[in-house]
Amino acid sequence: MSSSPLLDETGHQVEYDPVFLHAHREAIIIFSVWVLALLWAVPYCYLNGYTSDFDVQRDTMLGIPSWVLWGVAVPWLLADIFTVWFCFFYMADDDLGEAHEGADIEEEIAELHAAPQAAGEKGAEA
Amino acid sequence: MSAPLPHILPVLAQASSNAALITFLIYTLAVFGLAAASNILLRKKSFLSEYFLGSRSLGVWAFALTFAATSSSGGSFTGFPSKIYTHGWVLALWIGSYMVVPICTMGLLGKRLNQIARISGSITVPDVIRDRFLSAKLGLLAVSLIVFFMSFNLVAQFKAGSLILQTLLNGVEPFSKSAVWFGQQIQGIGFLENSLGPEYLLCLFTFGLAVIIYTTYGGFRAVVWTDVMQGVVMVVGVLILLPLAISQVGGMDNATRQMAEMSPPRRGRATLLLAESERPAQHVVPMGTWVTVPNPDGNRPQLLRVITTTVIPPEQNRAEDVAVLEIVTPGDIDTVLSRVKAGHEQLDDQLSVVDIAHEPYEYGTEPDRKGVYVTGPGPSPSSQHGFLPLSLAISFFFMWAISGSGQPSNMVRLMAFKDSTTLRRAIFTVAIYYTMIYFPLVLIFCCARVLMPGMEAESDRIMPAMARFLTENIGWGWLAGLLVAAPFAAVMSTVDSFLLMISSALVRDIYQRNINPEASERIIKRLSYLFTLLVGSAAMLGAVNPPDFLQDIIVYTGSGLAASFLGPMVFALYWPRVNTAGAMSGMIAGFTAHLSMYFTGMFVNGSFFRPYRFMNFDPIIVGLVVSFTMVVVVTKLTPPPSEKLVRKFFCKSK
Repeated sequence: MSSSPLLDETGHQVEYDPVFLHAHREAIIIFSVWVLALLWAVPYCYLNGYTSDFDVQRDTMLGIPSWVLWGVAVPWLLADIFTVWFCFFYMADDDLGEAHEGADIEEEIAELHAAPQAAGEKGAEA
Repeated sequence: MSAPLPHILPVLAQASSNAALITFLIYTLAVFGLAAASNILLRKKSFLSEYFLGSRSLGVWAFALTFAATSSSGGSFTGFPSKIYTHGWVLALWIGSYMVVPICTMGLLGKRLNQIARISGSITVPDVIRDRFLSAKLGLLAVSLIVFFMSFNLVAQFKAGSLILQTLLNGVEPFSKSAVWFGQQIQGIGFLENSLGPEYLLCLFTFGLAVIIYTTYGGFRAVVWTDVMQGVVMVVGVLILLPLAISQVGGMDNATRQMAEMSPPRRGRATLLLAESERPAQHVVPMGTWVTVPNPDGNRPQLLRVITTTVIPPEQNRAEDVAVLEIVTPGDIDTVLSRVKAGHEQLDDQLSVVDIAHEPYEYGTEPDRKGVYVTGPGPSPSSQHGFLPLSLAISFFFMWAISGSGQPSNMVRLMAFKDSTTLRRAIFTVAIYYTMIYFPLVLIFCCARVLMPGMEAESDRIMPAMARFLTENIGWGWLAGLLVAAPFAAVMSTVDSFLLMISSALVRDIYQRNINPEASERIIKRLSYLFTLLVGSAAMLGAVNPPDFLQDIIVYTGSGLAASFLGPMVFALYWPRVNTAGAMSGMIAGFTAHLSMYFTGMFVNGSFFRPYRFMNFDPIIVGLVVSFTMVVVVTKLTPPPSEKLVRKFFCKSK
C-alpha cells in the first residue's frame, strides 16, 4: 500500500475502502496457508516416502502408505477444516457494491465526443 | 486360442456400450434444454452482461460448480487416472496441493476482482485490466494473449473431447455403421481424409456442433447451467466407482500390499511366430492380445501383451518388430491368466514370441529397487530421476494452486458471483467437492493397477475400461454409460467456457471498446452470436487434423496464461502504487520468460514441448518469478498512477 496518505479534491485525507483492506488481509492469510501446506506436504512426503526401504506391515495405515496418509490425506482434511473456519467464521461479509453496467463504455463515448469538441473550440480560438 | 472370447462378453460389452450411447443422447438433450431456457432469460436482461457474465448474479451452487467443472478439464478423468495407473501412489503428492486449490483460486482474488469489475462495469478480464489502468494498449495486449493461448487450447480441447467421445461410443453398433457410412462420404476430400479416421471425425463434428450450438444460443448462463449438471455427473461417477473399486480389490490394504510387490512392465519389440498348423489367409492379432512363452522349468510362463494390432500375411508365419509389453510381477501374471480362463481377456495360443528386445524403464526396474509404486518418486519410462523428483513436486504445488489463480477463465467466474456471502459458501462447497473427487481418484486407480494389469500401453483408456470392468463384475454393465460420461462432461465444460472467452474478447474488447463504442445492442448481439459460432467452427476445423502433443499444448497454454496474467492482476487488485508500465512489463516479461524456456528446450532437448527446466523447476515458476519482479521494479522506476484512479478503485466511495 502507498506510504503517503491519499487526499481527495478538497485536500482531505481519504480512507481506504474496507473491502480492499479485508480482501488484502484475507489474501495474506490464504497465501500463508498455501505456504504452510507446501512446507508440510512436500518435505514430509520426501523424507518419509522417497525410500527404497518400504515395509508394507510397518509403513501402511488404513491401507494407505503412511507417508501419503500423514503427508497428504490428513493435511487435506485439516485444510478442509481450515476452509470451514475461514469461510464461515473469518472472511468478512462485504458489500461489493452495485455494478455500474456500461460505465466504462459511457466514459469512452463521452471522451470520444469531447475530443472533436475540444478540437473545434481550439480551432475557433485560433 | 486357448480361451476364445465366449459369447457372453460381446453381449455384456454391447449392453454397456448401448447404455453409453443412450446416456450420451440424454445428456446432449439436457444440454440443449438448458441452453433454450437460458436464451429465454437472455431476452429479458442487458445483453452483453448477461451473455458474457450472467448478469453477475450467480448463486452458490451455480458459481461453485461452474468454477469446479471449468477447472477440471478432460485431464482430470483421462490424463490423471492414466498417471495414477502408470506411476502409483506418488500421484497423491502430485495432486496434493488441491487441498488448498479452492481457497487459493477463489479466495486470493475473488472478492477484489468482483468489486473492481462492478466499479468499472467490466465484463471481461481484458476489460478489468484496461479500466483499472485506464490503458487501451494494456487492454489490447491482454486480449492478444488471451486469444493466442486460448485458440491453441481450444483446438486441443476439441481433440480431447472427440477422443473421449470415441472411447465412449467404441463398439456401439449404430455408431460403427455411421462411421463406415461417413468414411465413404468423405472419400476424395483430402482435408478430411487425412484426419484421424472417420470415427474420430464423426465424434469431432458431433461433439463440436453440440458445444458450439448450445454455447452460441445460451451464452454464459447456458455454460454455467450445463457446468452444474456436468459437475454433478463427475462427482456421482467418482462416488459410485470408489466403493466398487475398493470392494473388488479386496480392500485398500490388499491393493497397497500387491502394489508394493509390483515391478514396472518391460516394454520392447519382438517377433511373433505363428504355429505351423495355422496358415489361414491371414492371421490378425488384435491390440491387447496376450501371448505366453512357456517357462522351461515349468513355473509361470512369460506373459506379453501385443500393443498394436498386427497382421501376419498369408503364407507367412511371422511378424517382426512388433511392440509388446511384458508383465513381470508374478501376482499380475496370475491375475491375467485367471482373467483369460474366465474369458475376460484374449490370449492367442497359436502364437509364440522370439527375439524380444527390451527397452527398460529409466527409473524403477533396477533389481535392488522395491516398492516403486508405493514410494516416491514413482517409476518412469523416460526420466532417470523418476516421475516426481523433489523439484517437480514443488513445481506442482505452484502449478495447481497458484497458476490456477492466474487463469482468465477462472477470473471471469470470479467476476460473476452475486455477493460475498456467495463467495464464502462457494469456496467451502468447492473444497468439499474437490476432496470428494481427487483423493478418491487416487484410491480408485491404485486399485485399477491391481485389478487390470497390463494397461500401460493404453493407459489413457483406463477410466472407461475400469468403469466397464467394475460394473460388469456386479452385473450392472449399463451403469458404465453414466460413469464414462464424467470425462466427457469435464471436457465439455472446459470447451464451452474457453469458446465464450475468445468470442467475448473479440466482440467486447476489440470491436466495442476499440472500433465502435457506440454500437447498438442489436449489433452487439448479432456479433456475439456470429463470433461465438465462427470461433467454435474454426477451432473445430483446426481439430480435423489436430496437432500431436495434446496434453503438452494444454499444459503450455495454461501455464503461459498464468505467467502472463497473475502478476499484473494481483498487483492491480492489491497495490495502489502499481502503474501501466509496471503491469505491461510484468505481462510481457512473464509471457517471454515462460516462452523462452520452451524455445530453449527446443535446442537443448530437441522438442518445443520438452521445455528447459531451470534448476529442474517447471517453466511456470520462472515465468511467475520474472513477471512479479518486473511489475515491482518497473513500477518503482516510473511515476505513480493518478490519485483519481487510485481513489476510484481503492478508497471508500462517498
